[in-house]
Amino acid sequence: MIELVESVLVGAVASGTVFLLASLGETVAERAGVLNLGMEGMMIMGASLSYIFTNALGHGWAITAVLLVGAILGLLHALFTVSLRLNQVVVGLAFTVLGLGLSGLLASNEIRGRIILALNPEASPAVIASQEAAKLPPIPIPGLVNIPIIGPMIFSHNILVYISLILAGGLWFILFKTSFGLSLRSVGENPSMADALGVNVFLIRYIAMAICGALGSLAGAYLFIGYQPFWVEGMTQGRGFISLALVILATWNPLRAILGAYLFGGVEALQFRLQLVGVAAQLPYFLLMLPYIVTIVTLTLLSAESVRKRIGVPAALGVPYSRE
Amino acid sequence: MMLKLEKRGQFSRKFSAAVTVIFVAASFLVAGLIFEILGVRAVDVIARLFEVYLSERTLLEAALRGLPLGFAALGLTVAFKMNFWNIGAEGQIYLGMVAATGVVLLHAYYGLVPDFLVLPLMVVLSFLAGGLYCALPAFLKAKLGVNEILPTLMLNYVAYHFVNYLIHGPWRDPKGFGFPLSIVFPPYARLDTVLGHTAYIGVPAAFIIAGLLYGFIMYTPAGFEMRVLGQNYEAARYAGVRIGRTLLLGSLIAGGLAGLGGLTIVAGILGRMRPPSAYVGYGYTAIIIAFLAALNPWLAVPAAVFFGGLLVAGDVIQATLNLPFPAIQILQATIFLMIILGEFFKRYRLRVVI
Repeated sequence: MIELVESVLVGAVASGTVFLLASLGETVAERAGVLNLGMEGMMIMGASLSYIFTNALGHGWAITAVLLVGAILGLLHALFTVSLRLNQVVVGLAFTVLGLGLSGLLASNEIRGRIILALNPEASPAVIASQEAAKLPPIPIPGLVNIPIIGPMIFSHNILVYISLILAGGLWFILFKTSFGLSLRSVGENPSMADALGVNVFLIRYIAMAICGALGSLAGAYLFIGYQPFWVEGMTQGRGFISLALVILATWNPLRAILGAYLFGGVEALQFRLQLVGVAAQLPYFLLMLPYIVTIVTLTLLSAESVRKRIGVPAALGVPYSRE
Repeated sequence: MMLKLEKRGQFSRKFSAAVTVIFVAASFLVAGLIFEILGVRAVDVIARLFEVYLSERTLLEAALRGLPLGFAALGLTVAFKMNFWNIGAEGQIYLGMVAATGVVLLHAYYGLVPDFLVLPLMVVLSFLAGGLYCALPAFLKAKLGVNEILPTLMLNYVAYHFVNYLIHGPWRDPKGFGFPLSIVFPPYARLDTVLGHTAYIGVPAAFIIAGLLYGFIMYTPAGFEMRVLGQNYEAARYAGVRIGRTLLLGSLIAGGLAGLGGLTIVAGILGRMRPPSAYVGYGYTAIIIAFLAALNPWLAVPAAVFFGGLLVAGDVIQATLNLPFPAIQILQATIFLMIILGEFFKRYRLRVVI
């Protein structure tokens, strides 16, 4: 029993990190007033690029490329929604469809092979044909990993898991303890007021979307090289949208996102293990519904004015800003 | 030098249609450019697509594959017209599948009604199932002011897991060797048996519904209230629009039509229930169709056939050009982006200021 609990907890962090990275990015965007429904597409782009680049040039280049392309996608989204003031829902969904299509095409055998060869002419045919890539090595933290339960749960993972935790803390600090964070939140709260006070609303929204895109794609890269390094078309399986739910559950707070992400990751890990053992065969499906239902309930509770005020829901979320 | 945006005043229908046509054409150029950059001959891909519409067999297949998309898109024209951002058509389609399959299973095991009543009952219940599923977030919006975007999105996944539960559990065909499939629907519960092909009954039905919707939106008081609500929420309130009632009615129609789309999948295309294969599927494509049709129900039907053709072309290029299905998604996405961009140019003029 203890073993099952421990394996679920370790699995919760391993699969939850995908949600954590993505929801951190989404939190920054939404705090600045931009709803990014393109998260799913940015995530799958990260997954497919990390697959291609890892096989061509290794992990370091893969992560660099993913961050760069993710940021560019975020900036493009901002071009449409911030500068051209197009509907954020529609643009986001278009980015999701685009990401799913482009990632599948990039990772398809022939095109992937051509890209890998262009990046690294010495790549071996076996690497080019491979549907997998090297997984990021786990780096157990000496000492800490021996703490019962918490040790293996938190300190036995690969570098991206640690980075995601540091990012959560860092983003919390930036959002709530620095003047840049204050400006960013004011842009999501009341853009015309922020504008009047001399904050560059457009610039901040562009920066927020670049961060959001980069972290969303990094989440996809983690999904691939950090969690299940085997390429399947559409392998994000809605995880980008789950991360959107998570942002709400965590009430736009990066630290609470850690808890939420591991909770969602735990549900995934638990249903996976229940399926393996064959206990309560029907239960997993209902477990998997839970995060979404809880999100809807949370949204409903947040509709009360008093709750909104206390938590600080970004009031201008989803509304394009214009000076007119 | 600077770029400035200027609002255009009223624009004519002709202008609007011309902009849409130009931008859809441009989307083929953009997609083609992406293909060429990746070393794929764009001409081949686009030629395969247009061949689909030129042969009777594949055109019929396009109409068939477009049916669930078309019904869902028809519903969305209503939802979007009243500014209700339903991105849950996917889930409403699943609920329609569930209701239709439920009727068949109940009848197969307990023989509820005469056989000829089964299909009408499936139609009614799949409409209700999809409609009520869409009315739920509408109710939250009307009563508590909960924005509908995320709840409708989340309900897709609840429905997805629910379908999977049923088809892996109680609704699995006991003689199906453990595959997650329902029993095959008997002939009286299938749409292809009515007139020989599902599209023969589905496409006319879609056009009739389009006509009804058009009349409803343009000429009835309830339709008028929906349009007012879509234009300006506050104004609608001052004008005395019964917002809650309007939202519920509109969402019931929107979700109900998506539910009918679900019916066409199980009773028309598959002939049984199967677990849905992908997360991003019908619901999002239906949104693109509704936009391409500029929320005009008449145009939604041909637009759905066009997108059904894209799905058929996806299979064709997989077989003949050895390209994966996602190649077609790129076309979908660029069409989507260019339509939105077109909407922008309908509303604004770009001016260079020196």
